[in-house]
Amino acid sequence: MMVGMAAGMNGALEIARMSFLDALRNRLLYGVLVFVVLLLLASLAIAAVTMGRTELLLLDLGLGALSIIGNLMAIVIAVQSLQQEHAERTLYVLLTRLPSRGWYILGKFLGLAAVLGGLMVLMVMMLAAMVAVFGDIHWLSLAQALLATLFEIWIVLVFSLVFAQASSLFLAILLSFCMDIAGRFTSTIHQFSAQAEHAVLRWAGDAVYYLLPNLEAVNLRNGAGDIVSFGADRVLAVAAYGSIEIALLLAVSVWIFNRRNLS
Amino acid sequence: MNGLLTIEGLSLSVPTGHVIQGRKQVLDDVSFSVARGSATAYLGPNGAGKTSTFRILCGLIHADAGRVEFAGEPVRSGLPARQFGFMPEQPHFYRNLTPRELLTGLGRLSGLRASDIPARIYDWAERLGFSTVLDQRLSVCSKGQVQRVGLAQALLHKPEFVLLDEPLSGLDPLGRERVRQVLHEVHAAGATLLFSSHILGDAEAMCDAVVVLDQGRVVHQGEIADLLKRGNSWAVVVEGDISRLPAGRFVDLGHGRSRLLLDGEAERDRLLDTLRKCGECRLLSLEQDRQTLEQAFVKLLKKGEQS
Repeated sequence: MMVGMAAGMNGALEIARMSFLDALRNRLLYGVLVFVVLLLLASLAIAAVTMGRTELLLLDLGLGALSIIGNLMAIVIAVQSLQQEHAERTLYVLLTRLPSRGWYILGKFLGLAAVLGGLMVLMVMMLAAMVAVFGDIHWLSLAQALLATLFEIWIVLVFSLVFAQASSLFLAILLSFCMDIAGRFTSTIHQFSAQAEHAVLRWAGDAVYYLLPNLEAVNLRNGAGDIVSFGADRVLAVAAYGSIEIALLLAVSVWIFNRRNLS
Repeated sequence: MNGLLTIEGLSLSVPTGHVIQGRKQVLDDVSFSVARGSATAYLGPNGAGKTSTFRILCGLIHADAGRVEFAGEPVRSGLPARQFGFMPEQPHFYRNLTPRELLTGLGRLSGLRASDIPARIYDWAERLGFSTVLDQRLSVCSKGQVQRVGLAQALLHKPEFVLLDEPLSGLDPLGRERVRQVLHEVHAAGATLLFSSHILGDAEAMCDAVVVLDQGRVVHQGEIADLLKRGNSWAVVVEGDISRLPAGRFVDLGHGRSRLLLDGEAERDRLLDTLRKCGECRLLSLEQDRQTLEQAFVKLLKKGEQS
């Protein structure tokens, strides 16, 4: 049992390494980086017409934009990578070498999460360098915002992996995108549905709240420019929620993948 | 030779995607065995179910019914990873990795020691003729080069059983010759091969056993030599005046030589008897007329269609 676990974990790490290298050399990634540089330069124009706390505005705008870009990248990379590996039969030679299919999903997630994580850190560093021109940066607050954004992107990545193996390329991207948007409004939907008169609507609201990932629960961007950072309990709560959500979605992904016929 | 792989009553149906038609039977009670140390060709027309069988063996799809045994042990979700190598049809792999990076990763996944991998990669790259592109990205390698990398990954960990889906497709004649040679060497070293191919000449040259599949059913299995002899016709080349020989299918070869095709031993013996009695004609050669695998294959399928 332990030997199987060790072999599986080694296999997952190897798949993570190959997925990481493959995604890192994807031209799409470099296109995104160029786009981000242009976006940051364009935001300087906004800074020029802003009175007062320019650095706060730049940080808010920049982190928001980077979060959107990170989310979109997570969806596209997850769906494209998984579907391409199936279509091109790379998946077959990987799966025949693993003790069980679940290790493949774990490896894929780890590899792509590392690429997206590295990309986000790089983009936030670029943003920080630009903001530093206009004012002070509160590094701890910024690091907390970055950590929370990473969890948000990893949650999006893992539910995109779920959709990628259960539907076609277009549908998987569409469903992931819808899930991403819905994930930002789960609390709002829950609050509205709680006031509904009809029981069915209330149940539906509860179902949405408990079934869909709550992406607002892992959002600490609004405090990124504050001198006073969030307390450790809040950051831990974000990390705990993010980790549990990722683990649950990975379990769902493995469950679906184990039942799929890879024809 | 004892059986290494035994398949019994394998059945598989897949949804047609059509509400009324329901499901399509891809494999219907497929049973055959592969002897240890043999090279078996798994043949069939397009859609016969060859690739589906391979995917079941690899644990990629689940059969509706049937039993698979490998080295006497029942197989539940794919053949044991370390003991077999699989090459899918027209593989592509990670486009942004080089063959060296890919093979290193797959070697590690196969449980090879990290220190052994570089030498093995170099060895297979040399033998299969892709050492010049070892450090180029797979996206810029040709189809034939990727095909060879695909074969190398299946053989890298020296498996005892090698499953190859169309290993020679997409290769130029030189590449095919080289791959055939490598597969001969692998087989000679003791590995058991099971492969599908539409290039029947290659299958004939490389295999000692054959399983023919048609519409999801096994229509023939056995030694390849038996299948080729099955016509039981004889080719005789004679020199001299053939006017006194029994009427038959004569082909004039020029220079007074003729070739006769005879059906069965009785006709052959009658001709030999006549030749012995008349001194105007001399026997130059007599051999059993072997049909090619392609001819035998077509006959089998036509017979299946008629029945």
